[in-house]
Amino acid sequence: MSAPLLRLAGVGKDYAKVETRGGRMRLVVDLLRGHEAADVFRALDGVSLELARGESLGLIGENGAGKSTLLKIIAGVIPPTRGTLMVNGRVGALLELGSGFHPDYTGAANIDLAAALLGLTPDEIDDKRDEIIAFADLGDHLDDPIKHYSSGMVVRLGFAVATALAPDILITDEVLAVGDESFQKKCVAWMERYLDSGGTLLLCSHSMYHVQKLCQRALWLKDGRPVREGASAPVTQAYLAYHEEKSQGAKAPMSGVAAAAAGVYAIQSLAVDPGETASQGASLTVRGEVYSPDGRAPVVLIGIVRADGTPVYGVATDMDQVQPTRLGADRFAFDLAFAALPLLPGKYFIRAHALDPEGVRLFDNVERELTITGTTRELGMVRLAHRWNGDEGAGR
Amino acid sequence: MPATALPPDASTVVVTDRGAAQRRARDRALFGNFYRRELTTRYLGSLSGFAWALVHPLALLAVYHFVFTSVFRTSGFEGKSFLAFVAVALWPWLAAQEALQRGTVSLSSYAGLIRKVAFPHELVVYASIAATLTLQFGGYVAVLLVLRAFGEPLHLEGLLLAIPLWIVMAVAITGLALALASLQVFIRDVEHVLMPILMILMYLTPILYPLTLVPPDLRPWVAVNPFGWLVGRLRDALLDGRLAMQVDDLIALAVAVLMLAGGRWMFRRLSPHFEDFL
Repeated sequence: MSAPLLRLAGVGKDYAKVETRGGRMRLVVDLLRGHEAADVFRALDGVSLELARGESLGLIGENGAGKSTLLKIIAGVIPPTRGTLMVNGRVGALLELGSGFHPDYTGAANIDLAAALLGLTPDEIDDKRDEIIAFADLGDHLDDPIKHYSSGMVVRLGFAVATALAPDILITDEVLAVGDESFQKKCVAWMERYLDSGGTLLLCSHSMYHVQKLCQRALWLKDGRPVREGASAPVTQAYLAYHEEKSQGAKAPMSGVAAAAAGVYAIQSLAVDPGETASQGASLTVRGEVYSPDGRAPVVLIGIVRADGTPVYGVATDMDQVQPTRLGADRFAFDLAFAALPLLPGKYFIRAHALDPEGVRLFDNVERELTITGTTRELGMVRLAHRWNGDEGAGR
Repeated sequence: MPATALPPDASTVVVTDRGAAQRRARDRALFGNFYRRELTTRYLGSLSGFAWALVHPLALLAVYHFVFTSVFRTSGFEGKSFLAFVAVALWPWLAAQEALQRGTVSLSSYAGLIRKVAFPHELVVYASIAATLTLQFGGYVAVLLVLRAFGEPLHLEGLLLAIPLWIVMAVAITGLALALASLQVFIRDVEHVLMPILMILMYLTPILYPLTLVPPDLRPWVAVNPFGWLVGRLRDALLDGRLAMQVDDLIALAVAVLMLAGGRWMFRRLSPHFEDFL
């Protein structure tokens, strides 16, 4: 097994926090003496990863999480403050817009400059120039200065140059977000060909769709630290769930005991079988006990919602004309089973509510988390049974 | 070893993308690209740029000539006409001055590249200095030829010594420019402070006057100026035709090499942090 193409161990990056001129002068003196700055902002800390030839890794995280900083370190633009970085091949980086371009130079001149920066010899540049011009598809604009280009044109040119390099590792940073439909399709198609022929890709993106489609693994960075690393499906799903929860606001499960002390109908206990995690299509049972202050059988409402509160399904005992089973003078039990839950992978909450026997007023709300795991790329909340017509041999 | 790698001991970076020979070839190609760009944008791209590069020193020469010969009524120094005496020394000074001033701010126009692409940042400063000095040396030769054609007693074979002298000057100026350019990234006042300092230094260097006119007690202070050595030797070569090497030459070469080494050391210490401040 050959050495990995890329290895990071404990990589961290600090940026000095200096505002005043005096601060900058002190920083210069510190740097000249070989010390690092005193007051720093930790952009990255403790990042370790390995990338072998032919692997693809997606880098995800919120804005400001340190993704661009990490990519700059790997591309050699800046050195890490801590840790070791080993790169064993040619890195082609497409960082932000117009990397390697000078705004006053024409497109043609920038091809020469960018190619020289990426390490191509003048002969190699001559060979590849036609290929680059064809991929970029800019026509006469090639003789205009880059500052007159639209952002989509700049990205096309940058991508054309970077792809002509045939790097060992291709790093691209949110660049797929710019550019029109046809360019994005060309990009993704090129990337898939590149990966098929054994290229190694490091993709930074806010589009979980692209990360899941193009990357085998994913690394989630938050505030400069790695949160989770692994196969792209679970990591991207966890990231999406985190975002949904954030927009919803966390909901702590409420205790039924306090409600019971107030003399109202209350859920005493709630258990979900198989537990906090279930795989897609598994069967699910929701069990619990409910307290009734007046001895009458209350209505129990069980609901399934997404992490952001979007309701998926809710059903109450009175909708199906059943009643909770009586356990004692004021205690009842409920048991709800789903045979093959068609929920798609993601994070959900199971909510149990206690209502009065008339099913009118809602008295309680208890939640349990439920994460559905799976590798499907289908979208939405629920899997609908379906069949593609036309090719009888390929039905589901 | 690229200039942007190897920060303080806490971290190590090992990159094996291409061999040392390929990296040198890459650096040469990049330097060539930057050098051509500097020449075109500054001088050849616009008529006024090219004209100004030559008109400015010529105009200064004419003004000094007028002031010193018509107003102060000096009659030349050491048997040479004022014009030849000053031109031989003033031109290299102005070239060095321009090289330093442009070199100090050279990094800012490449800020976008420095923030996004990995390359040895010192190539930018080298290209800036090389563009200035090669053009100005061409102008120097042209002015000397013109003066000779007008009958000034110049020993053009002195150019044989002038070339290595300019190279020594280039080495020293490059060292200074590397230090100043790296400082300028952090402290933007460097370029503004540099101008008045250079103006003052010009008058403290025996360009407009010979060293012999300086009072004896002050003479050592003026003589220690390394640029004074340069103008002295240039005058020896071009005005007197004396081409023999001297001990001073070796000392000056050593000083220039030291300045280059010092400038490079400072640049390499500060270069990994340019991205944050540009």
